[in-house]
Amino acid sequence: MPGKELRNGIDISNSIRKFLFPALTGNYLTRLILLGLSCFLFFSYILIPMRIQGHSMEPTYRNGSYAFCVRPQYLFTPIKRFDVVTVRFTGRSVMLLKRVLALPGDTLEFREGTLYINEERIDEPYLQHHSSWNLPVREVKQGYVYVVGDNRSTSMSEHHFGQVKIERIIGGVLF
Amino acid sequence: MNIKRILIFLLLAAATLYFLLPSDEKEIRNNLASLAEYCSSSGKEAPIAALKNVMLAGKLCSYPCRVQVESFNIDQDFNKKEFTDHVLMLKKMTMNTRFSFHDTVINFPMDGKAELVSTLRLDGKTEDNRFTDAYELNIHAEKTNGNWFFSSFTVIEFMEQ
Repeated sequence: MPGKELRNGIDISNSIRKFLFPALTGNYLTRLILLGLSCFLFFSYILIPMRIQGHSMEPTYRNGSYAFCVRPQYLFTPIKRFDVVTVRFTGRSVMLLKRVLALPGDTLEFREGTLYINEERIDEPYLQHHSSWNLPVREVKQGYVYVVGDNRSTSMSEHHFGQVKIERIIGGVLF
Repeated sequence: MNIKRILIFLLLAAATLYFLLPSDEKEIRNNLASLAEYCSSSGKEAPIAALKNVMLAGKLCSYPCRVQVESFNIDQDFNKKEFTDHVLMLKKMTMNTRFSFHDTVINFPMDGKAELVSTLRLDGKTEDNRFTDAYELNIHAEKTNGNWFFSSFTVIEFMEQ
């Protein structure tokens, strides 16, 4: 019996060793390359990791935090008001994180920091600081959405916001 | 087995050639990286070094060089002196700021002409804070005497307030 236990002990340690340090066979290398390729494609085209730099979406997303951009989010569902989206520049290395406030055909206005969409006063529970922004009424063009950051403590001139083409929206945000 | 080895060797040789041989696209990308480096500034940059970098940035452009930034009401052809003066002013205004270009796409609409679209990213540091900003740029380049020079810079303002 002690011999069997020893044999079993040897079998277990062998299995662990094989699992952690497998022989570099052709099949193993193929599996490794396929796994690496799948991870690369998944994290490049489906769930893009992002490091948030800047304060424009605080307090929802803080400077230095991490999130994922979900690319397929708007493949089958339309963009909704108050969704947080990623807006691209030339590519996907640098993107803006913004909240959609108005959809195509909507009118948008800021009066002393209060948002009005289609002449209706809108409460924004995600805001931490009340602003004194004033923006005259404007209509969002077809094929565009109006995006603004959550941090309105800065002046309007220091904030990137406005209507952007829907085709510039890469996806939604996870976490 | 020999055929496999020959194929691997050919693939490696092709990859090496691709990375080592010069091309118009590589030269333009290198010029863009150099421009970003010359425009970047750190607090430790000596005035002479800053002047030298500004002159080097000026050598990457052809003149007159057109600069268009709608939000700052800039739409002007600059000669070399005006261009370098503005780069120097930019460096002074953006102390401790690193410029870098990302996601650059280069097209060659005709021989000796190139159109670039790129994202300019600014990473800066003020006394008590860090900031990041980005702009989309449309850049034109021309080939003169075998070298590529930037001939225009336009900031694309894709967000309409």
